[in-house]
Amino acid sequence: MTKSSEYEQLGKDYRKQLFEKFLATKQGHPGSVFSMMDIAVILYHGGFVRFDSNKKVFTDRVVISKGHATAALYPIMKNFGVLPEKEWENWGHSSSLLRVFGNTSMPGIDVTSGSLGHGVGVGAGMAIAAKARNEDTRVYSVISEGELYEGSTWEGLLFAHHHELDNLTIIIDVNNLIILGGTDDCLKLNPIKDKVAGFGIDTIEVNGHDFDDLNSAFKADLEKSGLTCIVVNTVKGKGVSFMENKNNWHYFNPMSDDQIEQARKELS
Amino acid sequence: MFQRDIFIKTIMSAMNKDSDIYFLSADFGAPALDELRQKFPDNFIHCGISEQAMIDVATGLALEGKKVFAYAMAPFISLRAIEQAKCGPGLMDLPICLLSVGVGLGYADAGPTHYANEDYACARAIVGTSVYTAADSQTTQQIALELIASPRFAYVRLDREELPDIGEMTLNDVKAGFRVFGESSSNKVGLVSHGFMLHRCLEIQKAHPENFYCIDLIRSKSFPDSLNISAKALLVVDEQTPSGNLAACVFEGLSNKDTFLPIVSKCLPEKYIFDNGGRDKLLEENGLGLSDIREAGERLLN
Repeated sequence: MTKSSEYEQLGKDYRKQLFEKFLATKQGHPGSVFSMMDIAVILYHGGFVRFDSNKKVFTDRVVISKGHATAALYPIMKNFGVLPEKEWENWGHSSSLLRVFGNTSMPGIDVTSGSLGHGVGVGAGMAIAAKARNEDTRVYSVISEGELYEGSTWEGLLFAHHHELDNLTIIIDVNNLIILGGTDDCLKLNPIKDKVAGFGIDTIEVNGHDFDDLNSAFKADLEKSGLTCIVVNTVKGKGVSFMENKNNWHYFNPMSDDQIEQARKELS
Repeated sequence: MFQRDIFIKTIMSAMNKDSDIYFLSADFGAPALDELRQKFPDNFIHCGISEQAMIDVATGLALEGKKVFAYAMAPFISLRAIEQAKCGPGLMDLPICLLSVGVGLGYADAGPTHYANEDYACARAIVGTSVYTAADSQTTQQIALELIASPRFAYVRLDREELPDIGEMTLNDVKAGFRVFGESSSNKVGLVSHGFMLHRCLEIQKAHPENFYCIDLIRSKSFPDSLNISAKALLVVDEQTPSGNLAACVFEGLSNKDTFLPIVSKCLPEKYIFDNGGRDKLLEENGLGLSDIREAGERLLN
């Protein structure tokens, strides 16, 4: 089995686990979670976010600025033993630590998020602090393309570039959809890569579901000096055909028995 | 010396011993800040004219264990970046001090974009804030010392003007959150205020000590535990618009202690002020002249 096929399988497994939780809790953001799932897989399983197995902590930081998709990290935290199995099982009960949106009370979650547009600035602050400590700590800020509508994202990019934060990587999950429809129809964002590159930021564009592509991009990022932005083209709802590229699957929707069966089959 | 310079100088002294203190500015200056930038270039960050990014960056620093002071003009750090304050230091309970300069009509005659007449209600509404307002130099210094000693999410309101010292001030007064001028009595009207307007209240109290005493509410949130009030009534004087100003705070604070006194709010009207003429004139024209306050107090005596 190649590394890429291993990652692919992990992505499917995690999506399946999350699908069952969304179904059980009747809430969540499957479209956005599934869109960034493969980014999370490569970050954690590709060794870009480093893990201290003795202390059971990650030594790098991950800011999920698109906080409605933080749930993508929960099964990964469980897999690494950072999130106790019982907490995963407890998800959906009132006493559960896990929520629709991530917060810092959850093991392995570095930032409380949910409101869009904060992740670049917060990541920049973390990156400056890591440099001040002379620590080899990297910060990965995962933002949605929708966050490019927030002015504070551009403020943060300007800031991070000026401070030459080579220990910060901005990842933009571009699935071309926001709640009301396509970004091209609602309010044009493209060309995203050119706009970010226009700030003087090194920008790489990749297919967000091709693990060779993702792996190469994150490796290239490590070898570069300066701030890097990786524009990751993804499919909203990736993995479940009736959710793919559908803006209404930003949120959980009730499903027929046939749809549930189909999703389970496609994620297996 | 201006309050901002006193505060920054106090921070600078602490920076000599603590490399975890960071000072961020959204392109807002002060003579003392020039010195700080020179002496501590690694701990000063210019965030551009970007109050929102400044508080997000402050959040990232504080998540990594830094103690952060974020500095900007009052109307912008309070209202423009209010959601950043909620989502960063608010939600995650981080040691970030928002240093807000030019509260009230301090920037007269710049006009309403530069006035901070709603900042108090906004800052107080965020869960977890400690809200301080400095009326003089000594208070300013003691507030800075308090936040260095016990870093927390705080909103500190400084005046643009150089205000005269009122009296001896200690760290204990800041810890208590208030100080009283004159003898309190159930036959008198208590004039409650903070910052610039406290000076007007003190002028009235000194002229009529038989009728009035003053309370300087240095830390209005959390409301001082040890503030027990005896008065015929309270006149709360604040250079803010009507909704959610210091009078609301006093009512909430006292009612939580089962103290129910007549409370009257003396504040700016519900409008944006575009007129010129300087702060004193604007206050006179908008119901906060000395005679307006005194007459309002006298009405409560009768």
